[in-house]
Amino acid sequence: MMNTLKASGVGASINRVEGRLKVRGMAKYATEFPVENKAFAQGINSTIAKGEIIAIDSSEAEGLDGVLAVITYKNAEKLNHLEEEMPLLATTTIAPVLQSAKVNYYGEYVGVVVAETFEQAQYAARLVKFEYKEDPDPTIRFDESKSKAYKPKGNSDYLRGDMEAGLAEADETLDATYITPIEHHHPMELHAIIASWENGKVTAYSSQQMVNESTIAIADTFQIPKKDVRVITPFVGGGFGSKLNTERHVILAIMASKLLGRPVQMTVTRQQMFTNTGMRQQNEQRMQLGAKMDGSLTALSHDTLSHTSTYQEYQEPCGMISKMLYQVPNNQITYRLIPMNFQTPFAMRAPGEATGSFALESAMDEMAWKLKMDPVDFRIKNDTQIDLGADKPFSSRLLIECLRIGADKFGWENRSMQPRSKQEGNWLIGYGVSAASRNSPYQESSSKVILELENEKVYATVQMDATDIGTGSYTIIAQTASEYLGVPVAQVTVELGDSRFPITPGSGGSWGAASYCNGARAACQNAIDTLKQNKNIGKDQDIPVAELLKQNKLKKYEAEGSAAPSEAFKKHSVFSFGANFSEVWVDKHTGMYRIKRMVNVASAGNILNPKTAYGQIIGGLTMGVGMVLSEQTRVEPNFGNFITRSLADYHVPVNLDMANIEVIFLPEEDKIANEMGVKGIGELGITSVAASVANAIFNATGKRMRHLPITPEKLIEAQVEPGVVA
Amino acid sequence: MRPFTYTGAKNTEEALQAASSNANAHYLGGGTNLIDLMKEDVERPDELINVASLGYKKVSSNEKGGLTLGGMLSNSETANHREVRTHFPLLSMAMLSAATGQLRNMATNGGNLLQRTRCPYFYETSMPCNKRAPGTGCGAKNGMNALHAIFGWSEACVAVHPSDMCVALAAIGATVEVRQSDGSPRMIEFIDFHRLPGDRPEKDTNLMPGELITAIHLPQPIFSKHYYYLKVRERSSYAFALVSVAAGLEIQGGRITKAGLAMGGVSHKPWKLIQVENYLSGKTPDQANFEAAAELAMKEARPLEGNKYKVEMGKKSIISALTQAYERKA
Repeated sequence: MMNTLKASGVGASINRVEGRLKVRGMAKYATEFPVENKAFAQGINSTIAKGEIIAIDSSEAEGLDGVLAVITYKNAEKLNHLEEEMPLLATTTIAPVLQSAKVNYYGEYVGVVVAETFEQAQYAARLVKFEYKEDPDPTIRFDESKSKAYKPKGNSDYLRGDMEAGLAEADETLDATYITPIEHHHPMELHAIIASWENGKVTAYSSQQMVNESTIAIADTFQIPKKDVRVITPFVGGGFGSKLNTERHVILAIMASKLLGRPVQMTVTRQQMFTNTGMRQQNEQRMQLGAKMDGSLTALSHDTLSHTSTYQEYQEPCGMISKMLYQVPNNQITYRLIPMNFQTPFAMRAPGEATGSFALESAMDEMAWKLKMDPVDFRIKNDTQIDLGADKPFSSRLLIECLRIGADKFGWENRSMQPRSKQEGNWLIGYGVSAASRNSPYQESSSKVILELENEKVYATVQMDATDIGTGSYTIIAQTASEYLGVPVAQVTVELGDSRFPITPGSGGSWGAASYCNGARAACQNAIDTLKQNKNIGKDQDIPVAELLKQNKLKKYEAEGSAAPSEAFKKHSVFSFGANFSEVWVDKHTGMYRIKRMVNVASAGNILNPKTAYGQIIGGLTMGVGMVLSEQTRVEPNFGNFITRSLADYHVPVNLDMANIEVIFLPEEDKIANEMGVKGIGELGITSVAASVANAIFNATGKRMRHLPITPEKLIEAQVEPGVVA
Repeated sequence: MRPFTYTGAKNTEEALQAASSNANAHYLGGGTNLIDLMKEDVERPDELINVASLGYKKVSSNEKGGLTLGGMLSNSETANHREVRTHFPLLSMAMLSAATGQLRNMATNGGNLLQRTRCPYFYETSMPCNKRAPGTGCGAKNGMNALHAIFGWSEACVAVHPSDMCVALAAIGATVEVRQSDGSPRMIEFIDFHRLPGDRPEKDTNLMPGELITAIHLPQPIFSKHYYYLKVRERSSYAFALVSVAAGLEIQGGRITKAGLAMGGVSHKPWKLIQVENYLSGKTPDQANFEAAAELAMKEARPLEGNKYKVEMGKKSIISALTQAYERKA
């Protein structure tokens, strides 16, 4: 492409093309669409963990001004049922709701009130009285319910080599268990929808990460053709996985609209975001490692015990990272699940890696300490260019470079192996490191480009059902079109988040950027190629697109295109890699600590836009800091509700908690990943942050913290590890 | 939210009149806690009487040589007021550790005293809570009580008072001025303002119905050199204290002549450690005495199942706060 255009093409650090819309409040989120005559719905939640509804009194609510309907299982429309026992939760799963008197968990929807105003609906929802027959023995205590664990069907156990033999030949072994608590996604934008049911057709302005999947889930739930469902979600105020699914408020709003014959708006409250829009479940991860004195790993097992709901299965693949990150001949991964009376958990940012890396990278640090080996060297020693878990070569892997460059930038050589050796006043100072990896699951994606010639300039519009969940999709897609059409970004319009546009896999699993951009690229290239072909112009001839349109005597031209993983992609393991370094200061009196500095090095293919990429990484790091510092949802031990029920209780980090962060992107060209060499970074940033901080806390205090979050009370109660000079 | 009427009182008399004629009315100051609680259906007033525009928004000198803080002055303006910063830096420091800048801008001094507990059982209307719904029991006592009291709790209630400002006021010593229903003023010593739960946990304070806080009187400047407010929490802002300590020392000739010490996050009211203050008086400000003070402070602690950590954390926090107060460069 022409160099003059590079300033706005791929790789340029341009501002977000949608930025001005957002800061002026003109970017429309789900409930901001001007839909006429809409009513407002408010969900009602169960107040028992297990049992059934035996009586409902809605008379007071129904008597209020403005109340249009109270819907419970008694009068709710009959929806498509989940036929299978414990079906796997997925993004296209149907979402029946209000179908029986049964209550599966505290906070489950048991009804919905629809009223003329939001305030009326909220007030009336409080007045509907439910009488329950409570099951006296709900499964709400993780520690006491382990005997109920079963082997999930969703993830198979894995073994290579022989664990026992591997441990037997080790000079040092480690057997440690790491606990991560229930966490919640809590994107800034609440889950919300305006739903209209008209003549058997659904229009849903709904905050979703995946448009096509959502249309499938809605169509299947209501048993209508997919073509009659339109999902519109041009701007999504964060998702972190919670908006991958079509959650039940979507179904409730559509159901209410169908019943009333008018549009219905429904917003999930912040409190309901704890019980009705997914979560990350508690994980107990047992790690066993064996290593030789020279640092080579001989054995690694990763056994995860988690919980799912009593009606659906979801298993977070925590052990995935232990299967592929290191050169270890004997390797075992297992999963067990306890069906508990909580909502079904689902993918939260870097499902598997975020939590699995805390266990693995803490255990690696523990082993390095046992071996009296530098933890950076220990990781480098066990590097592998083959994904042993998948038996495929990595398309590219720069983990060693990430570790070395990070160590250099951070000043790792100033770290003392012996904990508690760096003190300043009340502060114990420690350094920690961890390695990171994240799958780059590129998927088939399609798009349409519309070219319009006006005053010698070509204006391009790219359409796809992709979403921008705050990540910068609009910007990188515009940059891609600019690059492949040879027009400035200012002449590119990107339209996203509408099921009428060509299908993409949506935003999730860090596949968005690679999939969307290659999809957009394909349409742009098709347009150019066809315009050239029509005039018998050679493919390699560099002719401006305006000239091509003119030669074709066209004022307007449309082309579609799609891109999909290549054969080479399928033969490789495609991952991004990274390294995290942290400096932590722990107050030896109170157990409070400050993360002073972080260095993150990422090798994540071709960086489309360093500015948006940096935003992704620091967002991930911040969420990783949240994991280690404070985020946890507490379960009430007698009633089974989440008593962490607002953002005043569920502590995400504040600005003051965040360190000075340096982010370094390593140049990496990986054409096996995809034609543009793009790898996702939405999840790489969160991976192993918690371990790097926990490892720094060990280096500072000599206390090995295996239970997240690492709070002042835990640090005060923890003992210094044997062998550490206090 | 339940329907309610809004009364914009023009003067104090109107406000007092409105309150005395409706037992279900609530004064509205900054609304940072009350409005939240109304949205949660915990507080259910049928009338709000706006008192935020009645005046009482000054910091002024009082006859005792101290300062008087207006009841409706915002926490931000109070904490950042030059006279407060100069003469009562302990109070300023405590107030600035509270909530967030936005909340402090809205919250009033009177309202700060009347904050309700953050006990999750109090907030969740489907849970038992004697404070919110007397007679329903205390869910926290045998439930999740990691954030609860270690001093002065009763079988009926183990909640803690959430304020930071009040902890400093307890250490400094203050007097709360209220207007009674008939318009006459009444003075309440700060340590008598808040209550222990006993068998009436629904009552947080000793205010009489309809009384309106108009001022907080501070004594002669104290602890302006040696002070520290230590707030232990898991994040650096917008978090209530797990344990907090307000420590103030007056030192002359190498000895402590007066100590002010109070804790937050440990009791139903700001926990003034009078015995420890007395113990420290006359002692030298050194590590051994600070440790002995901490031991003494925690002697009466009665932790619950989930908050045993607060005893050790309390001790270490007292030592740390006293040390930092002593070592502070004036």
